[in-house]
Amino acid sequence: MVVKNSFRQLWRMKGHMALFLILLCVSSGMCSVGTGFWMINNRNLQNYEDSFMTIGTVEQSATAVQEIKKWDAETKNYRLTSQNVYDSYIPASVLEFEGADYLAGPEKRVSYTAYNPAFKPYEGIHTEIVVEVSPVEDALPDHPVKLKITRILSGQGLMEGSIIQFCDHYNPTPAMLYKNKTYVMSLIDTQGHESEKEFPDDQVREYQPAPLLGASQYAPDGSRMKDSIDENYFCDEVTEGFYETAPGKRWLHYIETITYTESLFPVVATNNIHLIVPFYQGDTYISSGREFSDDEYRSGAKVCLVPELFASTNGLTLGDFIRLPLLTANYHKSAGQIFYTNALRPYPLLNVKGEIYKPFEDSSYEIIGIYGGSTGLGSEYGMGFNEVIVPINSIKNSDADNIVDYGPMTGSTTSFQIANGTIQEYMEKWEKQGVKNVEITFFDRGYTKLSAGIENMNTIARILAVIGAVMVLLVLGYFNWLFILRQNGRTAVERSIGFTKKQCFFSLFSGIFLILFLGSLAGCTAGAVLSSHLSASIKETVYYDTTFGNSAPVETDAESALEKENFYPVQTAAGTMGAVLLAGSLTAVIGIACNLAKEPMEMLGGKR
Amino acid sequence: MEILRAEKVSYSYRTKYQKIDAVRNVSCSFDTGTMYAIVGKSGSGKSTLLSLFAGLDVPDTGRIYVQGQSMSELDRDAYRLRQASVVYQCFHLFPLLNALENVMLPMEFQWIPKKEAGKRAREILHRVGLSEQIYRQFPKMMSGGEQQRVAIARAVAAGGEIILADEPTGNLDSENEEKIVTLLRSLAHQDGYTVIVITHNPRVEEAADHVFRMKDGMLTYLR
Repeated sequence: MVVKNSFRQLWRMKGHMALFLILLCVSSGMCSVGTGFWMINNRNLQNYEDSFMTIGTVEQSATAVQEIKKWDAETKNYRLTSQNVYDSYIPASVLEFEGADYLAGPEKRVSYTAYNPAFKPYEGIHTEIVVEVSPVEDALPDHPVKLKITRILSGQGLMEGSIIQFCDHYNPTPAMLYKNKTYVMSLIDTQGHESEKEFPDDQVREYQPAPLLGASQYAPDGSRMKDSIDENYFCDEVTEGFYETAPGKRWLHYIETITYTESLFPVVATNNIHLIVPFYQGDTYISSGREFSDDEYRSGAKVCLVPELFASTNGLTLGDFIRLPLLTANYHKSAGQIFYTNALRPYPLLNVKGEIYKPFEDSSYEIIGIYGGSTGLGSEYGMGFNEVIVPINSIKNSDADNIVDYGPMTGSTTSFQIANGTIQEYMEKWEKQGVKNVEITFFDRGYTKLSAGIENMNTIARILAVIGAVMVLLVLGYFNWLFILRQNGRTAVERSIGFTKKQCFFSLFSGIFLILFLGSLAGCTAGAVLSSHLSASIKETVYYDTTFGNSAPVETDAESALEKENFYPVQTAAGTMGAVLLAGSLTAVIGIACNLAKEPMEMLGGKR
Repeated sequence: MEILRAEKVSYSYRTKYQKIDAVRNVSCSFDTGTMYAIVGKSGSGKSTLLSLFAGLDVPDTGRIYVQGQSMSELDRDAYRLRQASVVYQCFHLFPLLNALENVMLPMEFQWIPKKEAGKRAREILHRVGLSEQIYRQFPKMMSGGEQQRVAIARAVAAGGEIILADEPTGNLDSENEEKIVTLLRSLAHQDGYTVIVITHNPRVEEAADHVFRMKDGMLTYLR
């Protein structure tokens, strides 16, 4: 009865009621849109935090560029090339400064080379040969000269007794070769430059020196260790008992390392596979199995990730164990730069003593993941051919005696991860360190651009929400005055004709609540619809920075993040409606309580 | 027959600056079928006394009895709904309800079926001298006299025995004033109501069967 009476009286204030409904609808709608939009944006930011990743790659810039002259027997002149010069190599530890808040600390990844004859990652053809030869006649090999093969020590496609063209192509002062002597040579088959001109009838190619006997060994401090032989050493005279001598043994060791070639593959150790650019980009991804867990990284578990080709070539599957005897450690180039194609033996596997490097680490690793996708083979940031990835801490032994190259930090070897949106803050702190010749390049998949856009939208959303909330409060205040405080006479009359205080309360409140409910429902529903449309339009217009690569895996991340938005308009609309109802009810209760607190006779009679 | 009795009733209230003894040691009694007038200057405590009789306030000391039962033991809301109705100088009808609905409202709150309440409301409106065409009119469309008659009809519709009127003719012209006085008298004498009227109006004072004067919170019987 009370409620009916309340609605009946309310219905007779159609104009006011309609005005209240419209104002409440508009204001709660604005509030709902603003709040919804704000929540969507915040949620998006949170999703982006989860989906996006900011990494920095580090490169030491050269202190100078040195001009290198290289003799070219074809042009009889020097060819000029340039080479970067570094005063010293700046360690990655320079990035460990106060205030640098890394999610994954800077790591300069070492490229290890593993040799395991059980695996034949690729059946390649060796282009280098080791042969004993005798010149057809005394000759100075500053141009192609004829040599007769007397013995093949290593190599394919040649026969003893055959004649080859040889030119010490890049040596401005080649040594004389005598016809009655036997030489052992490491040669590489090339596109001969003058053979066809000088010997048009001899369908042979030109061979040039392959100086791979000289050791490439570095001390842990980055200094190159001195070898007893010249780095261009490729030839020696064979005399009786030569192979019993130290140089002869080096030749035998060298010949043995050639047989390693097909079973060499790179191993890279990391603390976070997403610091490796192809993984970061999403071009390379785990196609079966899983990534390393935090615990595996931390404990240095003997687990590894192998590429699909390596697994399929060698019949490996998840859960298999593979031995990774690590022969060498390269502190200069990334695996992608070293093993940029198949069947490579990128550097001599001999140390300064002329001995073959012995594995410094030889453990079995369980394959927990197989990766695929585009590995960017051959590109600057690409993965190495058959690159196996292991946690850094899984390598327990020192590689101090097996370092084959040492160089500066480069973008493909050195990287770190920081929190999204902190690039500027990081750079401000970094610049205060005053470190020169170190360049940091950040990749955030467009997070900065996205988050800036979202922050702007957030500001608009907040303004909308605040204006909406203020409007709601003003509307509620006005209508509290109109429908409640100004109705104090009604309450007093109701009291005087015998309504209980409870009945008086509901007489006013039920009608007010109905309008509140309808107004806020309509407004918040409209707000939810509008928020959905807005979030959908954001989805269409957001610009993704795909700095890296040709594919755009980032969009997938962002899209999946945005998918979740559709939940929020409804939730926020419901929340806003609840808040409007609560605020409206609260003001109504206070207003009605004020009415009830007054004595009816005081209000109606205006006197005591 | 005595229906309402006050025994040494006192009531005071505080303003911001002072304590006011609005009603001081008032004792009186009222019978059915009688019209009473309480006269006195403004601020003498008349309306406060009426408020105590209506059960809207509770005396600080003393007691008010309704048909021999102390009001402190009564449900005062039910008392106002069923036994005592108040009529005001400014009518105080519900502006959003028409005449008929205003009169029906107390009956509806007594859960009297709508049909019966409507029938009875029409009878009462007719009884107070209002024509059919007024029934559907809203208070703003009515004259002061008509509004006051609707207010009285609403008081009667509650089915009570006591009508407490606070300056019921205060806002009326002499013609309507006369009609209301006549109506109140007839309600007392013909229908058996106890009508207690607070007034400054000599015509009402004259029409009353008994007159009390209120001065400084004290009530004196004049005649």
